Amino acid sequence: MDTITIILNGVEVSGYPSTTILDLARELGVNIPTLCHDPNLASTGACRLCLVEDERNGALLASCVTSITPGMNINTNSPRVIEHRKKILKLLLASHPDSCLVCDKGNRCQLRQLAAQMGIGLNEFQRLPQNDIIEEVNPFIERDLSKCIMCGKCIRADQELVVEGAIDYIHRGSLVKAATLNEVPLEKSECTFCGTCVAICPTGAIMEKERAYTGTVTNTVTTVCPYCGCGCTILLGVKDGKVIQARPAEGSPVNAGTLCVRGAYGWDFISSSERLTTPLIRENGEFREATWEEALAAVAEGLGKIKESSGPDSLAVYGSTRCTNEENYVLQRFTRGILGTNNIDNGSRLYSSASLTGLGATIGYAGTTGSFDVLERSKVIIVIGANPEISAPAVAYAIKRAAKYKGAELCVIDPCFTQLARFARFWLQPKVGTDIALLNGLAKVIIDKKKFDMEFVSRMTDNFRKWEESLERYTTDYVKKVTGIPAREIQQVAQLLAEAEEASIVYGNGVTQYATGTDAVIAIANLAMLTGNAGRLGGIFALQRENNARGACDTGALPDFLPGYLSITEPQNRQKFEEKWGVKLPSAAGYSALEMIEKIREGKLKGMLIMGENPVESFPQPAQVKEALSSLDFLVVADMFLSETARLASVVLPAASFAEKEGTFTNFEGRVQRLHKVTEPVGNSLPDVDILLGLAEAMDSPLPYSSSQEVMEEIEETVPFYRHLAFGEAEKKDSDLADVDDGGTATRRLHKGLFPSGFGRFSPVKYIAALPPEGYPLTLVVGSVRFSFGSGGRSSRSDRMSRFYNNGCIEINSTDAVKLGISDGDKVKVKSAHGELEGIASINADLHRGMLFAPVSLLGSSVYKLFATVIDPQSKTPAIKSCNVRLERV
Amino acid sequence: MTKLQQKKPKISMKQIEKIITEYQGKKWALIPLVQKIQEQAGYIPPETIPIIARHLGLFPAQVQGVVTFYAQLYTTPRGNNVVRVCRGTACHVRGGKSILKLVKQHLGIDEGETTEDMEYTLETVACIGVCALAPNLMINKETHGNMNPKKVARLFGKSEKE
Ligand code: SF4
Ligand code: SF4
Ligand code: SF4
Ligand code: FES
Ligand code: FES
Repeated sequence: MDTITIILNGVEVSGYPSTTILDLARELGVNIPTLCHDPNLASTGACRLCLVEDERNGALLASCVTSITPGMNINTNSPRVIEHRKKILKLLLASHPDSCLVCDKGNRCQLRQLAAQMGIGLNEFQRLPQNDIIEEVNPFIERDLSKCIMCGKCIRADQELVVEGAIDYIHRGSLVKAATLNEVPLEKSECTFCGTCVAICPTGAIMEKERAYTGTVTNTVTTVCPYCGCGCTILLGVKDGKVIQARPAEGSPVNAGTLCVRGAYGWDFISSSERLTTPLIRENGEFREATWEEALAAVAEGLGKIKESSGPDSLAVYGSTRCTNEENYVLQRFTRGILGTNNIDNGSRLYSSASLTGLGATIGYAGTTGSFDVLERSKVIIVIGANPEISAPAVAYAIKRAAKYKGAELCVIDPCFTQLARFARFWLQPKVGTDIALLNGLAKVIIDKKKFDMEFVSRMTDNFRKWEESLERYTTDYVKKVTGIPAREIQQVAQLLAEAEEASIVYGNGVTQYATGTDAVIAIANLAMLTGNAGRLGGIFALQRENNARGACDTGALPDFLPGYLSITEPQNRQKFEEKWGVKLPSAAGYSALEMIEKIREGKLKGMLIMGENPVESFPQPAQVKEALSSLDFLVVADMFLSETARLASVVLPAASFAEKEGTFTNFEGRVQRLHKVTEPVGNSLPDVDILLGLAEAMDSPLPYSSSQEVMEEIEETVPFYRHLAFGEAEKKDSDLADVDDGGTATRRLHKGLFPSGFGRFSPVKYIAALPPEGYPLTLVVGSVRFSFGSGGRSSRSDRMSRFYNNGCIEINSTDAVKLGISDGDKVKVKSAHGELEGIASINADLHRGMLFAPVSLLGSSVYKLFATVIDPQSKTPAIKSCNVRLERV
Repeated sequence: MTKLQQKKPKISMKQIEKIITEYQGKKWALIPLVQKIQEQAGYIPPETIPIIARHLGLFPAQVQGVVTFYAQLYTTPRGNNVVRVCRGTACHVRGGKSILKLVKQHLGIDEGETTEDMEYTLETVACIGVCALAPNLMINKETHGNMNPKKVARLFGKSEKE
């Protein structure tokens, strides 16, 4: 593209057409003050503070909205510019209260910064009457619109970035302000407390509510949000050695200026008083505090004894998706090389291993094939079995932006209403457990109409004929009968998908946490390949619940794979690591997470190390899990808190939080991101990696790493797709996501649609009807809710989130409620064939008839006690998304 | 003189929802739609805002923003008769202010308010274009010129209202 040359402050510079004067200046390090401009928002040119002068004709231009044109002679600091800028600032300050000195926005207030820079006192102008502080009871956000300068950024952020629509202008003229519908407080509006408007507001008009979280931070550290698989970049602000606030990173390719309530406010579990600060050793049934030397020696002895008496395979290790790549890598090396067993797994077994298995079998690449920007530019987006508004908010924002502002057609496939359905052209409500029939049916319509991507299918894939034949049965009529979705809608959605230039399919736990989860993932991959939307265009987006689910698997915390998904049963794979580590590795695949519990019950496992996971709350049938873990000869748990599982341990090791350590996390896209230490670990807690290194030493087999960096260097060497990713460069945008040109299996991404094995493979999958058991007519669906994440280990210890959360309800459709004589707020009992649970009923008109919804943790008790342990034979994931129940009033 | 004008039609939420569905999915249709609702219901009931938003693919807060921006759109019920007293310059110099005060006294309400019996809503307007007859006021679409206390009493006085 040709460039345009202009003169900027006397210097000749050039930029591309349509670059604004402001962008060009900033690129060159020339500072122009702004208030209403934000790099993530479309510019409106409202405040005029960014004025510059064109010296050819003396025109004053708003630099944030004016593109460069040839011959411009721009002065960013002419006397006229300065005079005008001062005038504008004074006008703004005139309607601003005199409370700067006590305003808690402190040095984050841009208005105050600018006034100081330009030497403007704070009370030269006459004051105008003002709107007041709005009474809100939420613990997160406070609005004092007397400090508002009406730049409109909060409104634009709310509508254009997070697309919630909680606030907009109300009234006009001097009465205008940013308000919720009917001017209710935020907690009564659509607001999700994502904090995006707080971060973007240039003044103290919108800010953190509580004193404990306000004030001037002295140090800001860039790191990664510890909650969901999106892996948003957050800036943690420290005051007096304590983290007091979080802000989104403006330039992050993941979250671009946005966060959700967990990233913005939910991190405060790090300073919970419940944090473990010292190792604990069980003696005569009671915990006593211990030193690290004592504790590590006790663990070395406990595990060592079992290894000696019952053999290495009587030990098992359960790693965490909340721990870093380096920690999981060291953990698997410790397990294989020192304990001498492959009995190692990680928490993602509970929700995303169907993706590993299913995608591995079809596209040959075990994860999401696209990045955030691919998703956002898709012309058709299908969301199936996922509620990203809750499980992966940054993904939801991207989908909503695509649907609302970029012309994408959205189709939501979910038996439950989700907020995303509001933005959808189609909301299909299949009966629970019938996804495979629907997906096969869609494929059949596309094939019958000859609307598939023939070129892609014939050139890039394999096994098409056989698959096509297997679809014979899935006529629209049959699919309609099975799923309950009208034939017309099936045809319309199939057509939409087939005709889209670029389509993406997003799925989540609603697909993977079923006994047929792997088959459903395969059906999704088949559909994506059929329409040419795998890798080349659009993509498959496999959401993952926890932050580092992807990384824990990539780095080999799996019973059947070495780092980089190298099968453990292949001698040459083992040899590679045996040479590197100088030890002999066990050759048989180990037990997966749920098999471990089974094997304990069978007496085959006698000792376990659990790092950062809480199986008692997250596995089906908690009572049995508890019983099994208590029956172990030796259990060691490393955790931040004394979790239900840690309470059963022989030794408990206090682990540091994400804010207290270095390392990397890999988000659901496969983006490897750097974690930075913000504060020192609380008390005597230690990062998991240090715990492991200490333990290896206590077992007389020290591991040769002295820092996370050294571990990452080894990962880069041993895991091909982490290769081009120097530890230090992990935060350079996209260095991790770029197509690598050497094709082959080493590439991180599908290279221009090239599958790692050369071909994508269509695989037939069948829908199998599951008959509901007699006497349990309702289907209970379980999921996360906004203020309680997963089984609640961290969110329930977040000061603000737990105070705001009502502990969860059992949601029921209004018709069913009437039929059962249940009204809102009634105490009810849910019964399944496996257990029962009490809770409070809440009527939800959007729920399908015959369905109930409950959060994973209900009044502090795990809903999984209602579930049988049913396992997907392929992925070994337990079916913990839904079960058959009945409901009674108590 | 009896009733000044026919009572405006009040319609049910059902009917309003029917109007809204006619505009399904058309973002640009917001203004014509709310005008139509106001025409038929007399005002834009706030409870219709989320419904309008849903059908047009807008945020409720956005719809509220537009509705409150235009002085001609109302979110509170309006009286059967809208009285607009002119506060243009010509009327002002010929006593418009006192006329406004008198009307307020007679109706017992302030500017922007509606009488309890829902008969009158009182507003002021800038020049209504018949300055020659100043001071002026309008009742619905009818202009009343050369206003004086007597005339005001005749229009709004108790005896006339029965
Ligand atoms: S509240 Fe803040 S962001 Fe919103 S318009 Fe006012 S100053 Fe701008
Ligand atoms: S916190 Fe988020 S959802 Fe709430 S008003 Fe601000 S931007 Fe909107
Ligand atoms: S979207 Fe996920 S990663 Fe981002 S702030 Fe929220 S929980 Fe954290
Ligand atoms: S920053 Fe350019 S007009 Fe506000
Ligand atoms: S000023 Fe009243 S009609 Fe013109």
